[in-house]
Amino acid sequence: MSAKILRLAEIDRIIHEPARLMIVALLAAVEEADFQYLHQSTGLTKGNLSVHLSRLEEAGYVAIEKTFRGKYPLTICRLTERGREVLDQYKKVMKAAL
Amino acid sequence: MENAPTEPMVVNADRMAQRLMQRAYNRDGLPEIAAGLALLASAGLLGMQVLYPRGSIVNRSADFGFALLIPVLILGSQWAIKQVRRRYLIERVGYVVPKPVNRLRVGAAFCVALLTAVAVAFAAQRRIFPPDGWILAEIALVLCAMAVLNGRSQRFVIGGVLVAVAGVLIALRGASLDAGMAMLFGFAGALALLSGSVVLLRFLREPTEACE
Repeated sequence: MSAKILRLAEIDRIIHEPARLMIVALLAAVEEADFQYLHQSTGLTKGNLSVHLSRLEEAGYVAIEKTFRGKYPLTICRLTERGREVLDQYKKVMKAAL
Repeated sequence: MENAPTEPMVVNADRMAQRLMQRAYNRDGLPEIAAGLALLASAGLLGMQVLYPRGSIVNRSADFGFALLIPVLILGSQWAIKQVRRRYLIERVGYVVPKPVNRLRVGAAFCVALLTAVAVAFAAQRRIFPPDGWILAEIALVLCAMAVLNGRSQRFVIGGVLVAVAGVLIALRGASLDAGMAMLFGFAGALALLSGSVVLLRFLREPTEACE
């Protein structure tokens, strides 16, 4: 079996999950976005999105900050340096293997 | 709300993100309304140029309008959409800060626009333009392609095809280039404005969910 295919076994399983990959890919394409924007863009339910964001925050891939814009509460999410590195690595492995 | 079916595993995560962002960007119909207004303004100005003799005040006003109004509408529409979303729709569309504009891409787009302008000027000087009908049909096809590529949803595909068909029909009727463009832009603008307004109304009627 090719060594490139074997590298698939080392893939980061946290961002390999489709919903989390959507979230991480979206956050990689913007500076920062709030919970509502991610909810609208991904089509995930709020509960599901919340669980996945918590998982990504625990892994240190996403930073979450709760703030306000006027009276509107914002849960701002941004990709951390570590998250960006992991996503880049993920893309490299997938491109090489498939 | 049900979970949306997860996207098929896409190797190119960047492309997937762009597609999701583009869909979210067009979700409230505001970009269509802005494009519709810009197209209708262009159609109005072109109509003024067709209906009034060259050198008249109205004709000159149309020239002035093109020089001033259209760039303002095109550049200002992005700013206006952002302001409306942040001020009135933030609870529905959410908050996002895009990445800074890629200067290389802007530079490339500027170079392409400049080269096109030079080519058009050269063709005009040498009088090697194709017949008006061909230009009209090509403009309609370009509008159709822009709608399909930028919209990435069924309504943009339908709108794009309708504009392409309208362009070909106007071309076949033998209209002059200016009159044909006024009709084509007027049709495309009205269609975009109508579609955008319907989408915005439906978007505003959707119940807002409680915050997470």
